[in-house]
Amino acid sequence: MNASKEMFIIRFFNSIGATTLSLFEVAGEMSILFVSTVKCVITKKIRYKLTMKQIEFIGIKSVPIVVLTGGFTGMVFGIQTYVGFKDFGAESMSGSLVTLAMVTELGPVLTGLMVAARVGSSIAAELGTMKVTEQIDALDAMGINTLDYLVAPRLVAAAIVFPMLNVICIMFGLMGGYAVNVLFLGVNSVEYIDQSVLYVGFIDLFNSLVKAFVFGLVIVVVACYKGLNTRLGAEGVGKSTTQSVVISCVLILLFDYIITTFLVSI
Amino acid sequence: MIKLVDIYKSFGSHDIHKGISCEIKKGGITVLIGPSGTGKSVLLKLMMGLLKPDSGNVFIDGEDITLASYSRLLEIRKKFGFLFQNAALFDSMTVFENVAFPLREHTDYDDTKIAGIVEHKLSVVGLSDVNSKFPSELSGGMRKRVGLARSLTLEPDIMLYDEPTTGLDPIMTDVVDDLIYDTQHQLNITSVVVSHDIKSVFKIADNVIMVYQGKVVFAGSTRDLGSTDNQYVVQFLSGIKDGPIKVY
Ligand SMILES: Nc1ncnc2c1ncn2[C@@H]1O[C@H](COP(=O)(O)OP(=O)(O)OP(=O)(O)O)[C@@H](O)[C@H]1O
Ligand SMILES: [Mg+2]
Repeated sequence: MNASKEMFIIRFFNSIGATTLSLFEVAGEMSILFVSTVKCVITKKIRYKLTMKQIEFIGIKSVPIVVLTGGFTGMVFGIQTYVGFKDFGAESMSGSLVTLAMVTELGPVLTGLMVAARVGSSIAAELGTMKVTEQIDALDAMGINTLDYLVAPRLVAAAIVFPMLNVICIMFGLMGGYAVNVLFLGVNSVEYIDQSVLYVGFIDLFNSLVKAFVFGLVIVVVACYKGLNTRLGAEGVGKSTTQSVVISCVLILLFDYIITTFLVSI
Repeated sequence: MIKLVDIYKSFGSHDIHKGISCEIKKGGITVLIGPSGTGKSVLLKLMMGLLKPDSGNVFIDGEDITLASYSRLLEIRKKFGFLFQNAALFDSMTVFENVAFPLREHTDYDDTKIAGIVEHKLSVVGLSDVNSKFPSELSGGMRKRVGLARSLTLEPDIMLYDEPTTGLDPIMTDVVDDLIYDTQHQLNITSVVVSHDIKSVFKIADNVIMVYQGKVVFAGSTRDLGSTDNQYVVQFLSGIKDGPIKVY
């Protein structure tokens, strides 16, 4: 009785220890993957064709979902804040809030989360399938640096494309907010726009772009790491795919907090 | 020259190699035989550093590749051609792009020259009109032959073939055996072939190495193979389930 209780406690702490260790191990390996790939980007010739393909896949094909997300979020936010401010007779203040929220938080975070689901899963699945069918080994066997061939184009593409997607998301969010308030709810257009630009400066937009840039890198690094480390079998590919989305979403929220804290403090 | 010294390799608690030592001389075809699951494919991967042994050394032309850095390893691997057991074609590329891939990566040939080489390599393995097909549209045997063509494009110093004829019909088996033999003799390279096909072994092999339960149980010339009284070899060649090789 007592012995089994002891065993349970030991196992409990064991598993906490093991989880913590493996967490650090994974974080370390992801960092190594990131740094090595950046080294490839700097020292090796950029693979334009592959990078363009990734820009199309990660960037251009993500535009519809980003437009939808941004637009509807702006509209909903517009209604909610309108209702809130109406009680004080300050309906046009809705403009400031929508703009501030879209630029500083909702734009980059929503873009990150939506594109993580679309792109992160597909990168992990693609690389995972290549792994289990020995295509990664085949690249290796031909003397081709897999980081340079597979990860670098995706990383470069994400770095270029994410800030742009963020801008698109913000733009449609603002348009959604404007449409709801001015066209449907009858807020004065000039007042609304005045309020919109009142509290948001270029520095906010810049910070927002930094966030989107970092989220893009996070998504690609996590997805590539998960894909390249897929365990053999179809089940392994499925697991990698799910995990890559979950991990990158969690990391996006974590990094959002860290970056915000950092940017606010300077 | 490939030299393995006291190789140990395990996956988790599963010990695959328990002290393998052997030498594969420059030139000539060495065939690797042994029951399914004894780690022949793993051994080939160890030879070109795709896997690392738990202990032991792998020498390629005198250089210990278990100590080599990643970039050095990539460099060394350019000496090799490797036919994977499952062909390992890039499924997002057409047959043509697959075979052209090593040329595009490692040479600066122009498109017409590359097309010529690809066309030739594909015809040598008996394939035509498949250029624009994707690997998923091919039969298993065709895929294997595309893999073969791809591994031969750069005319490497060392060719490793993992079961090149498994899954081919008898006539195509003969064609591929001839191809391995001719490639060997025209380019005077070093070839290592994993094979279960005893007829092919006697036809193409200069030397034979047999592995069983993580150890080398026979190493010698093909002539020795036919005349040995090594019970492992005798049982394996005759294909009888009773003997020192345990199936159950
Ligand atoms: N990446 C891996 N992870 C875990 N186990 C592996 C891995 N690769 C091979 N093994 C195991 O190693 C053993 C040897 O595999 P290998 O593919 O080398 O056998 P083989 O001799 O080539 O067999 P066959 O003749 O059937 O191709 C098998 O039991 C296999 O399960
Ligand atoms: Mg095998």
